[in-house]
Amino acid sequence: MALPKKNKKNINITPSTVQGHYPYGYNGIVTPNRREELSDMITEHGTMLPKSVLHADLDRGMLDFVSDDLRTSVSGKKIPVIDRILTLQRWGEFSKTWSFSDKDKNVSFPFVVVVRKPDVQPGSNPALQYTIPDRKQFHYAKVPTWDGNRKGYDVYKIPQPVPVDIIYDIKIVCNRMRELNQFNKVVLQKFTSRQAYTFVKGHYIPMILSSVGDESVIDTEDRRYYQQNYQLQLQGFLIDEEEFEVTPAVSRVVTLLGGENKNSKVNDIVSTKTKFEFGSSPGAVTSSKTYLIKVDLSIIRSSNVLNYAIYINGALVSEPAMVDPNDTVNVVITKKTPTDPAWITFQETIVR
Amino acid sequence: MSKKIPITRISKFFGSEDFSLEQDIGMEWLHGDMHFTMVLFRVDKRLSDVDDVYGESGVEEIRYHPPVEFNALVEIADPQNKTYASGLVNQMEPGNMTINVYIKHLEELGVDISYGDYIGYPETETTMRYYVVANDGRVTSDMKHSMGGYKAFYRTISCSFVNENEFKGI
Repeated sequence: MALPKKNKKNINITPSTVQGHYPYGYNGIVTPNRREELSDMITEHGTMLPKSVLHADLDRGMLDFVSDDLRTSVSGKKIPVIDRILTLQRWGEFSKTWSFSDKDKNVSFPFVVVVRKPDVQPGSNPALQYTIPDRKQFHYAKVPTWDGNRKGYDVYKIPQPVPVDIIYDIKIVCNRMRELNQFNKVVLQKFTSRQAYTFVKGHYIPMILSSVGDESVIDTEDRRYYQQNYQLQLQGFLIDEEEFEVTPAVSRVVTLLGGENKNSKVNDIVSTKTKFEFGSSPGAVTSSKTYLIKVDLSIIRSSNVLNYAIYINGALVSEPAMVDPNDTVNVVITKKTPTDPAWITFQETIVR
Repeated sequence: MSKKIPITRISKFFGSEDFSLEQDIGMEWLHGDMHFTMVLFRVDKRLSDVDDVYGESGVEEIRYHPPVEFNALVEIADPQNKTYASGLVNQMEPGNMTINVYIKHLEELGVDISYGDYIGYPETETTMRYYVVANDGRVTSDMKHSMGGYKAFYRTISCSFVNENEFKGI
């Protein structure tokens, strides 16, 4: 009987990475460096959790983008930007425009203003998909904890960010074509690849240029001025720290037990060694040490020593010498060859 | 010199002497009693520094002939409360200015008011408003600008406000 034609003849049984075609990407095991960098930016100067990104933060991001990335100068003078999202409160306009307004308190030409459409729509980035119901919380990080006694982990969980689309109208008002051209050039250069990014609390938020419109007033007898409108769609998301959840995970208690085995039938002997060394000069015949514990001294090895004497606190003692805490032991030797170095090694048996 | 054609309209009860008399009376009232004085800045289109492509001048690049004081009947419209951005960024500026000036007065001064010239109107002792001529009223063929249909004797000039970003004056 012939084998079915669709059977595989060769099967690679060597395990490969999840994204083998992308060697520096996420392999399912090790987080790529770039993702770690982004994560660090998100949590910089704060807790291990991301900071809230709400409507006001996105608005601020747009203002920063217009002020910094769409900065335009004509004849060496910067076209000022009204650095605020204007709202219904009338005096707020003046408070932000007084620095470049004329004696009638009108904003001097040229200027750029950012107007946000009040309605914020459900987001289109990523594509509008309703995949996760009921604000389910997801693992964000495991954070080690230590309260002095217990070592453990807290599990930080956050829900899926809420994608939002916000429409902004960037309006330039001026009365010279040169100013219009310059601003237009800057905007179109910025959006050459359709989208640009602003930076909000560690997140790169994309925006796209939706349309360019003209609202110039070129009436026959009215005051004339150019006004153009660049409509941007900011594709952001909302992260609300009120929804974050921190739950304790595994904790471990380290218990240290100690004690003496005085009642034990087997009394283990603990001993150490100390080497008293003497230099190669003929006069190097003494060496001393102060002890902190109670020990019995007995010589176990020596080199180039003809004879020796042990003094404890200046008193000559015989071997094995019992040394109390804070006693100073002085060893005086006679070398066999005075011009060679010498040493004596004592065994120190700890007395309990 | 071009050929002159005598005006014989309504000649039975109105002639050039009457025209001159009426005109002088009007000018005496307007210049002597009303005495609305303005300053005309005629743009020197030859010396002004203009952009090669757009013909635009910066505020410091506009050159003008020596300013000339003149008198006219002035009417300034109410200021309009407008906004630049759909209700935001308030714009409250003077309305258009309409002036009626005697043609003879301009001839005596030896000046002409052209489209794009600037007119300074001293609103207070310390505030000079500048307007740009949007309609120089050069065509006076209508009956309104004539004295009973005899001959035109004044021009109506419409001006719109300009701020200091466009023209600073003196």
